[in-house]
Amino acid sequence: MRSFLSLSLALTAMSTNLYAAEAGMPQLDPTYWASQAFWLILVFLILYIAISKFYLPKIKDNLDNRENKIKEDLEYANKFKEQSEAKAKEYDTILKNAKKEVSKIHFESKNILDKDIQSKKEIMEKDIEKEILKAKKEISELKKNSITSIQSISESIVSDIIENISGNKLNESSIKATVEDISKKNINKYL
Amino acid sequence: MASNPMEQFTVHRIGPEIKIAGIDLSFTNASLFMVISASIILLFLFFGSKEKKIIPNKIQLIAEIFYNFVAKMISDTAGSKAKPYFPFIFSLFMFVLFCNMVGMLPYSFTVTSHIIVTLIMALFIFVAVTIIGFLKHGFKYLKIFVPSGVPAILLPLITIIEIISYLSRPVSLSVRLFANMMAGHTMLKVFGGFVVSLGILGGWLPLGFSVALTGLEILVAFLQAYVFAILTCIYLNDALNLHH
Repeated sequence: MRSFLSLSLALTAMSTNLYAAEAGMPQLDPTYWASQAFWLILVFLILYIAISKFYLPKIKDNLDNRENKIKEDLEYANKFKEQSEAKAKEYDTILKNAKKEVSKIHFESKNILDKDIQSKKEIMEKDIEKEILKAKKEISELKKNSITSIQSISESIVSDIIENISGNKLNESSIKATVEDISKKNINKYL
Repeated sequence: MASNPMEQFTVHRIGPEIKIAGIDLSFTNASLFMVISASIILLFLFFGSKEKKIIPNKIQLIAEIFYNFVAKMISDTAGSKAKPYFPFIFSLFMFVLFCNMVGMLPYSFTVTSHIIVTLIMALFIFVAVTIIGFLKHGFKYLKIFVPSGVPAILLPLITIIEIISYLSRPVSLSVRLFANMMAGHTMLKVFGGFVVSLGILGGWLPLGFSVALTGLEILVAFLQAYVFAILTCIYLNDALNLHH
């Protein structure tokens, strides 16, 4: 294996050297220098003209278009953003005003209601007082009436009782005086 | 079976011999791959800019990425004054990149692995940058060789070094690209040759190397195109904005 390797390496080196010695560097052979120069200049000139006149302007246009488009779109987006911000502000102010109005209305109606309630309350209180006074009067009248009626009833009851017990009719005026006397003593307990 | 790793770089005539004023301008395989690379670029850009969509499709997106990549490279290194040269830098970057990438395909030819090709591009850039410098600044452009803030005693030496470095720009620019491409492709070929000569038993290791190197070479192909373009931008920057 090793001998094979060294043999093949030696063979390669030999053959390479052989050919190299024969050919040298083809780059230094001036036979086709003029031809290469001529074709290089020709091809490069055509390439240069085609690139500078047709392709680069196209690519540049395209790149500029894209940049402009992006710029425009960004501008549009900014404009829309500003608009939406303005709208949002407007909305906010409307909302604030509405809130203010609502609170104002609320306050006013509350005031009106309060006043209304107050006045109604006063009227009611007056009415109630009147009624109370009336009722008091009626009560006191009733009391007076009831005292006289109690007296007369008690006089008749007393005369009836005495009559039934003793069988004699007593003097009405004396009964009346006695009842009056007793009722005067006790009436204050009940009134 | 192992073939010469330099054989891939030979230029041969395709079709009839074209001779103008005694100079051989025949169409060669190098010319063919220049045309192929340029056609691929033009096709790619055609489909990349055909539909002007707000939301790009894949190929349009890639074309726009290339555009933005080169535009950013120029504005970062040479500023806004370099805007008129954007189409040239873009074409240069695309051409070198696609030539390198097409060269990565098996059985293809790498246009940029020829010193004459890279030298012509580098010389054109060098001459153009120098002319732009003199047009923009007149003889003040010579200040580029005299850096400010250098002690007077060192000034002659620094000036000589600056002149040498300025004059070696086309050489370094062209040799960097050519040598990178040639070395990478030679290495790939050598490892490919090892795979064949070591056969089914020993060929696996160089095959692995070949795969890894292919990945590396694709990276180098992009990187060298980028370096070529960015150095052009830097030279342009020197001509447009005098710093010294």
